[in-house]
Amino acid sequence: MKNIRTYLGGAVSLLVLAGNAAQADSTDPIIIPIHNWSSQIVMSNVVGQIFENMGDNVEYVTTDSQAVYESVRLGDVTLELEVWEGAFGASFNTALEKGGLHDAGAHSAVTREDWWYPLWTKDACPGLPDWKALNECAAVFATPETGDKGRFLGGPVDWLKHDQERVDALGMNFVVVNAGSAAALWAEIGAAEAEKKPIVLFNWTPNFAEAVWPGEFVEFPEWEAGCNEDPAVGPNPDATYDCGNPANGYLKIAAWDGMKEKWPDAYEVLTRISFTNAQIAEMAKLVDVDELEPEDAAAEWLAANEDVWKPWIE
Amino acid sequence: MAILDSTSESDARRIARPSGVILLLCLALAAALLKPVLPAFLIRVPEWAVLPYDQWMQWLFDFIKDDLGLIHVTRTISAGLEWLLDITANLLYGKNRWPHIGPLPWSAVAAVAAVTGYALGGTRMALLAGGTFVWVALIGQWDLAMQTMSVITVAAPVAVLVGLILGLAAWKFPRFERALMPILAIFQTLPFFTYLLPAVIFFKVGPTAGCVATIVYAIPPMVLMTALGLKQVSDEVVEAGQMSGSTRWQMLRHVYLPSARTELLIGVNQVIMLSLAMVVLTAFIGMPGLGAKLLSLMNSLKLGRSFEIGVTIVLVAVTLDRCSKAWVVKQPQHFERGTPWWQRHRLLLIGIGAFVACLIAAQFIQLADHIKRGQDLSMGSEIDDVIRAILSNGVITSTTEWLRWFLITWVLIPFRNALLWLPSTSVILTVAAAGCFVGGWRSGMIAGAFFGIVALTGWWDRSIITVYAVISAVVLAALIGLPLGILAARRKRWADPILLACDTAQTFPSFIYLIPAIMLFGVNDVSVVFAIFIFATVPLMRYTIEGIRSVPDELLEAADMSGATRHQKLLAVQLPLALPTMAVGFNQAIMFAFFMVIIAAFIGTQDLGQELQKTLAGNQLGKNFVLGMCVALMALAFDHVIMRWSANRRKALGV
Amino acid sequence: MADAPVISCRNVWKLFGTDPEGYLPAAKAAQSFEEIRQAGYIAAVRDVSIDVGRGEMLVIMGLSGSGKSTLVRCMSRLIDITGGEVIVDGQKIMKLDERELIELRRRKMGMVFQSFGLLPHRTVLDNVAFPLEMRGQDRHERRERALEVIKLVGLEGREEYFPRELSGGQQQRVGIARSLAIEPDIWFLDEPFSALDPLIRREMQDEFLRLRGMLGKTIVFITHDFDEALRLADRIAIMKDGAVEQCDTPDKIVLSPATDYVAKFTEDVEKSRVVHAKVLAQPLNGHTPDGPAVAADATVLQLARQLVNDDRELLPVADNAGKIVGAMKRQDALDILLGPA
Repeated sequence: MKNIRTYLGGAVSLLVLAGNAAQADSTDPIIIPIHNWSSQIVMSNVVGQIFENMGDNVEYVTTDSQAVYESVRLGDVTLELEVWEGAFGASFNTALEKGGLHDAGAHSAVTREDWWYPLWTKDACPGLPDWKALNECAAVFATPETGDKGRFLGGPVDWLKHDQERVDALGMNFVVVNAGSAAALWAEIGAAEAEKKPIVLFNWTPNFAEAVWPGEFVEFPEWEAGCNEDPAVGPNPDATYDCGNPANGYLKIAAWDGMKEKWPDAYEVLTRISFTNAQIAEMAKLVDVDELEPEDAAAEWLAANEDVWKPWIE
Repeated sequence: MAILDSTSESDARRIARPSGVILLLCLALAAALLKPVLPAFLIRVPEWAVLPYDQWMQWLFDFIKDDLGLIHVTRTISAGLEWLLDITANLLYGKNRWPHIGPLPWSAVAAVAAVTGYALGGTRMALLAGGTFVWVALIGQWDLAMQTMSVITVAAPVAVLVGLILGLAAWKFPRFERALMPILAIFQTLPFFTYLLPAVIFFKVGPTAGCVATIVYAIPPMVLMTALGLKQVSDEVVEAGQMSGSTRWQMLRHVYLPSARTELLIGVNQVIMLSLAMVVLTAFIGMPGLGAKLLSLMNSLKLGRSFEIGVTIVLVAVTLDRCSKAWVVKQPQHFERGTPWWQRHRLLLIGIGAFVACLIAAQFIQLADHIKRGQDLSMGSEIDDVIRAILSNGVITSTTEWLRWFLITWVLIPFRNALLWLPSTSVILTVAAAGCFVGGWRSGMIAGAFFGIVALTGWWDRSIITVYAVISAVVLAALIGLPLGILAARRKRWADPILLACDTAQTFPSFIYLIPAIMLFGVNDVSVVFAIFIFATVPLMRYTIEGIRSVPDELLEAADMSGATRHQKLLAVQLPLALPTMAVGFNQAIMFAFFMVIIAAFIGTQDLGQELQKTLAGNQLGKNFVLGMCVALMALAFDHVIMRWSANRRKALGV
Repeated sequence: MADAPVISCRNVWKLFGTDPEGYLPAAKAAQSFEEIRQAGYIAAVRDVSIDVGRGEMLVIMGLSGSGKSTLVRCMSRLIDITGGEVIVDGQKIMKLDERELIELRRRKMGMVFQSFGLLPHRTVLDNVAFPLEMRGQDRHERRERALEVIKLVGLEGREEYFPRELSGGQQQRVGIARSLAIEPDIWFLDEPFSALDPLIRREMQDEFLRLRGMLGKTIVFITHDFDEALRLADRIAIMKDGAVEQCDTPDKIVLSPATDYVAKFTEDVEKSRVVHAKVLAQPLNGHTPDGPAVAADATVLQLARQLVNDDRELLPVADNAGKIVGAMKRQDALDILLGPA
């Protein structure tokens, strides 16, 4: 019943707050969505704790990372801190067209999603990270399902990564097998790790996996605008998707249109927030490697990085 | 004469049946053999005939939601539910909502659980109930577990109440019952994804939607058990009530409901178990708690911690299950006249006393209030190492490597390709033949029609891949589960441990099996089949054991006196009599497999589950519903045929 | 019995089937139970007319499926009849609305069931008090009354037990107590002792006779046991296939069975146990035989010793008050005792 004590304290501070609440934020909680990967969870907690510091009420809800844009649009949740260009760009844009949410700025972090391998794979296929070298040693990646061709383990089909198209366009000796979830990808790496079996699969950055399993992206022909639409662009003149994914996708912040009026102060801070790749990786590491709970990880990160976030709230 | 007529009629039907079956099978075979020359529309439903059902459904949903204003109704309901959820959330884990008095100290909750357990089932139950909560606190999952419990404490009573009302209506109005039963059958076979999306759209994300999905998922057994219980009240008790001059309301309140107590409580038990199963799955639509934690742990491959959460869920499930079952069999005990009040309510007073004592203790002792991080006894990383060591053990990996190769190359892929190669007509006719063989023309028509509808939706190939995984897993489960079940039933000492293992395996959250499956077999169909197999073996074994055990003793004695060997007794007496029960187990195995195959989409499949998973992200309600119906119809076709067969067998055996 | 009958059944029909009312005229015209069954209907009660007088005990006897339980349920309208009418205390019960029917049951009727029909979740006390509770009596009053009846049936000290904690005989005592709690005028007993062991059954019959003597109620008692019927009844109605074959006193049924079916039942009955002196008594015609009289209520068996030893042709028969009501031929009585020569 620790709350009986905090309760009294809370009542007092509420009275104090009520005094100067004329222009301040609503006392309704700001609802921050949480998804199922650690960097996002910690970042949400970091931002949530910043808001709480400013006197706002904050609540976290767990939501699906695609469906969340519909919820932001309706105001059921207030904002979204990690809008990945590659993964959620489509859902974000759809919601943007329908109206109700808007782009509240971008992190300085860039995102990259592409074919990736853990470092031990290099032993079996020394020419990496070049894609041609990868194609040379396709047989190393063969499995019973793929026969004598190499297996590329793609993400869930609905991530729409066009891996099969790329394999065809570049004439690669690979078969794309789609995993059903991110967890399935990690499980495969985990299983391969024991015997250091070579494996090539879909991965992205920033991500906890980099901290657990050091690895590299495969270097495909560099992405150029139009590569996915115009066959003429890229090395294969007759095919689209004949290049890698953009190596620096955006990572945006989305906010509900009503946030600006309901929580003006918090909104102001939100538009200033910007994290870097290193900061995001650090957040993920606190949970995934150091085994902290997300709230504690956020508190720890905030304590260690005051110089980063203090300026935002001033 | 009438009797004579009916027998000759059924004789006629019996004669007609095999010829009908043969006819259908011949047609199916012909369709398969003549595939090269078969007109295309008999091989697959042509695209122009696949109507945009999903768009129609979407339109219908939109119409109901926006034009009829259902969304306002549901949002009002969700506001009410939210209020209830906020109360339990505040009490159990201190969410910042009215009445602002929580969180209750863990020791107080555990103490009340222990006393409740004692009241229901004595010392053993007290240890189980109290111990579960102590474990939850010590392992450092208190808040997570309470987030889950806070939803169950709202969802289960609401589901019970709604189920009770619907059950009453079904019992009172036969016409309503006839309309309701098919809907319930569909509800019970709809994949859980189909519950989730409408819940999100109509009831917001987060706990409210999760709560609604859980309630809807848990209602059907309560309806069925209520109707069943009320029907079973003995005529004389009813007449005694009437002769006592009871009004209708008095009859219901004092005669029917109390007399149907056992069935109603069994219904409550099932509601609780289904709620718990569903509440974990609702993590996909933002339900916080054990399920959400499990998902995020799996996404960072923390096997040990996932395992611990699994253990917690099993413990909570076993506690709730055993306690509610103890409640079912618990009979009121009489007190001699003149027993003082405090003695009659001794346990209640002890419970309140323990609760208050813990509340006070928690004010002074932090450990009794909440367990901080670092004070918990989680062994996550250690268990992690053990699991990884097992999964990467050389003997195991080489076995699984071989199994993977063998099953993929020689069993699964050929089987799958064969099924996909078959023309739809051929498959539908075969299904109809099976239905016809078991239950006559009507069953044949129903089973065939269900698959026919699936073909018409245009999702045939994906549906067939779903069925392929289900059949493969269930056959595998039968190959392993049936002999084990028979063995266990014949040796009493084995039966109980095996049944316990079955229970545990089944209450373990289903998607926990996915990761080990992938680590053992990789992302492919073997993993999918393996994950389903674990789930499907359980009912097969359980019903085999139950079936063989429930063969009457006299029959066994008669067999013994006829000089039957153990082997003969098994083949000639036990198995034939256990067969109808085993068929029920087989049916359940298939239903579980249909449930699990959808979850197996997380491994990576090309079946309906994968499409369903996609719709969840994209808010495609119409498509979601059509896909869900495909799964439900196929499951119902199997269900219909097998249950019909079992009922016929039972009738023939006179049991 | 000068009073109007308490229960009066006039041409009562009960048909089970798809359209009983529609079929009723045809059923009335039908010759037999079989004929009606051919048409897809079961005639559970077929054209029954019986009166039960105040304070009388009518036993309805028949094998299972003969319609006796249905008939008694028609009398209390637990089952709605298809044709004819049932009049209870001057009211046509098919004309009562739900409220009036409930009122009738609350004030005038009690019923005991074969399998006791106890509410498993209530204690003995609460079961017995149930009808009182239904009619809204206050807690204190109904407790008093319930304790009273519980004492009457000899279950003192078991008030707080639950039904499952009692033996079959005790459970039926609870059933009896419950049916008596509201002090009904009419008491229905549907095979109350069939579910009990023979020894207990005998004991319960004695108990029942004691209660009956004490309470003097109008009773309709159902049994499939002819001996029980003979032992308890004022009058017996024997049913077969829904119809009453014969309705008469036990003596008359034994002495002059109306049909072959009834005769079959009486064949193995030791008539001397059943036949009373008063039934054998013939009018005096002015001449009173000499010597000590025999009691009118005595059975032939009870008089056996006297019959054998006495050498008079004619024995005077006296009622309870000692008034000579007739004369009994000794030979008639001996024939009943020893069988016809």
